[in-house]
Amino acid sequence: MHEQIKQVPRSRPANDSGIVVCWSCKGPVESGVLFCPVCEAVQPPGQLDHFFRLGLEVSFDVDQKMLDRRYFDLQRHLHPDRFATKTPRERALSQSQATSLNQAYEVLKDDLGRADYLIHLQGAEVPEGCNLINDQKLLMESLELREALAKAKTAVEVDALAGRAAGDIETCVEQLSSLFAADDLEGACRLATRLKYFRKLAEETRQARARLVDG
Amino acid sequence: MAYSKKLLDHYENPRNIGSLDKNDDGVGTGLVGAPACGDVMKLQIKVGEDGIIEDAKFKTFGCGSAIASSSLVTEWVKGKSIDDAAGIKNSEIAQHLALPPVKIHCSVLAEDAIKAAVSDYKVKQGVGEKKIKAAE
Repeated sequence: MHEQIKQVPRSRPANDSGIVVCWSCKGPVESGVLFCPVCEAVQPPGQLDHFFRLGLEVSFDVDQKMLDRRYFDLQRHLHPDRFATKTPRERALSQSQATSLNQAYEVLKDDLGRADYLIHLQGAEVPEGCNLINDQKLLMESLELREALAKAKTAVEVDALAGRAAGDIETCVEQLSSLFAADDLEGACRLATRLKYFRKLAEETRQARARLVDG
Repeated sequence: MAYSKKLLDHYENPRNIGSLDKNDDGVGTGLVGAPACGDVMKLQIKVGEDGIIEDAKFKTFGCGSAIASSSLVTEWVKGKSIDDAAGIKNSEIAQHLALPPVKIHCSVLAEDAIKAAVSDYKVKQGVGEKKIKAAE
């Protein structure tokens, strides 16, 4: 029943022996598998990185179709209906597996989430709340664009700014791909910040557009 | 989330919105941002020859707490010496506006903006003095 899962190739961190003990039958289990191959009990999610959890190479370039396929494939095996007759512990574990899988998927499917996560994996911190930046050029550019948006009165003006944001987001993602490939962490951090600002601009243009429609 | 009256007042009636001439030697400009929320805040001061801040303006694109924090700072710094202005603590801003914990970073941004404006002004003055000396 779980053959498909076991066949998923996974990249493993070098310091990980990769073997844990099955909580149910006490036999050895490869860490990261959903089910014990001997007793078929669902395993705890453990502390796996998101790429490993979804059976993907650690890379910024993720094949979205592959990611979707892996995610839905794994999630199907964790459907609550499959655990209706199981013990409370197994039901709880399948729940936490599903939660971990959702978290990993949400992070990896998003370009910005994936970029921040990769930066985090490489040891640099990406604070959630306040990280002041001093990239004056980016700040000035953002300020001017947001001012232009605040002054925009027509749909054409707002759409032009939306187009500008979309173009910049695309360029950021392309450049992030090359920077990660070249292990340029500092460059990637800078681009991830730029991406955040242009995402915000895109979001603001959508709101401005909605206001124009309403008005 | 319930916001304080003072915060709502600054958000709904922001003081000192606008710009000063950033090329004026007597104007210090601070431009800061918080990428986590995509906020950008510009705070400018106009300093008199006696080192006292005569005017202050701001432009903030961000959440209500960021707008209120920068509005409050422009009000506070007028009439202060540049060193007193640079000494404003984010905790004072947060306390005055009763910012909720998740919005404390907005007051940090405002503190950073006034510090950046003062330091920009000092750099300009320093450069100005050097220019005069070079001319002599």
